[in-house]
Amino acid sequence: MDVQNIETLIKDEYASFLRERDNWSLTAGPQDLELVAHALRVLLHARTTPDFLDDYRALVACQNVDGGWSPLSSDTESTVWVSAFCGLMLIRGNRSLQQAQLSQSVRQAIDYFLDTQHQDGRWVDPAWADLDTTSHPVSFFNVVMALGEPHRQQEVRRAWQQGMRFIIDNQSSDGGWYDEEFHPSGVEITAHLIQDALVADLVLGQQVSGVRAACAKGAGRLCDWQAQAGWWDEENIDHTMDCTRSLMLVTHILEDSDKRDTIMRGLSWILDNKNDHGWGDFPGMETNLERTCDGLDTLLKYQAYSRSETHAVVKLWGYLP
Amino acid sequence: MPSLHTPASGWQAACQADELLPGERKLVTLDGVEIALFNIAGAVFAINNRCPHRKGPLIRGYTDSAGGIKCPMHGWRFDLRTGQSRRPAQATTYRTKTEGGILYLALP
Repeated sequence: MDVQNIETLIKDEYASFLRERDNWSLTAGPQDLELVAHALRVLLHARTTPDFLDDYRALVACQNVDGGWSPLSSDTESTVWVSAFCGLMLIRGNRSLQQAQLSQSVRQAIDYFLDTQHQDGRWVDPAWADLDTTSHPVSFFNVVMALGEPHRQQEVRRAWQQGMRFIIDNQSSDGGWYDEEFHPSGVEITAHLIQDALVADLVLGQQVSGVRAACAKGAGRLCDWQAQAGWWDEENIDHTMDCTRSLMLVTHILEDSDKRDTIMRGLSWILDNKNDHGWGDFPGMETNLERTCDGLDTLLKYQAYSRSETHAVVKLWGYLP
Repeated sequence: MPSLHTPASGWQAACQADELLPGERKLVTLDGVEIALFNIAGAVFAINNRCPHRKGPLIRGYTDSAGGIKCPMHGWRFDLRTGQSRRPAQATTYRTKTEGGILYLALP
């Protein structure tokens, strides 16, 4: 894979993404916050966050009184999955923005997740499987702990450990995670859980038992599921991007270079199935902004993965300052 | 493709009936709307192709013997008869009929 070509592609796609600003920016009006969070992640990894302070202020402005966010910025009922994605972008973005208003918003988000966790460690969202939902507050807490955020520190650590344990205890013996209703194939959920939740523990000090083995088995299962052509889940571009990114991070942390060919096959297939601008959900489908954000994020993470700088890729998940 | 169109009744020709045999699926576009057709054990169903959650293509979804379709993107399941879901969304479904070897859909 020619890194120079990847850089050119990133520049081209990023310019196209900026031309669509009115369709993802809260400064242009109410938005789908899942899309907004995807867009903010692109800004983070393109290192342009400081140019978009107003977007962050607008994200704070639509935070609900309970500390969470709603799927639509104009709504007032919080749901867990999107709240975690917004909170994650906020705490990571504020590393460069350094705004007191944003810090306060992060603390309110911490309160929200501490208030909504169930006894057995899970978080619940009607739109997502419980395991997938749980991985997102855990991911937020991964970064909260990585950055040393002092707000309710002991409670955060306890909630995080319970969330991690809920995920580990529900891994199947074949290494995958499944949800009969939402994710019968197991592909997307397995990719999410090892990258967004579990593997961070190996960077944060190995406080939860069984994480390394769970990640290794999960990564192995992802490799077994890949089609020879490079895709996952019947040519699903979203899920192929999830798996490719997940393996970049997890195998780097596990120091497992044997899976590089799998990653490269995934990336090649993603590039082969790009539209003139951006990506659709499946080959031949029209471009949509959310998938384009995922595509850009995948390329930016591949750039970091290819660098000789140790742990450059880990920083793009926020698990290292 | 027959060009039959009977606006008075709302029935529109979608395809030849033998283009959708048991176990098969087919995507058609009528009045600019993508509609996913499924033949499950001889029963024909028609549903708007775009999942009301995040517009995933239901034509690539997973059917079940209870007459459901699960979106390939995030797994939301819809009843192919009613469009109902346990998730906070309602899909649009269409009545179907076969006459003279042609499959018709009732469009609003």
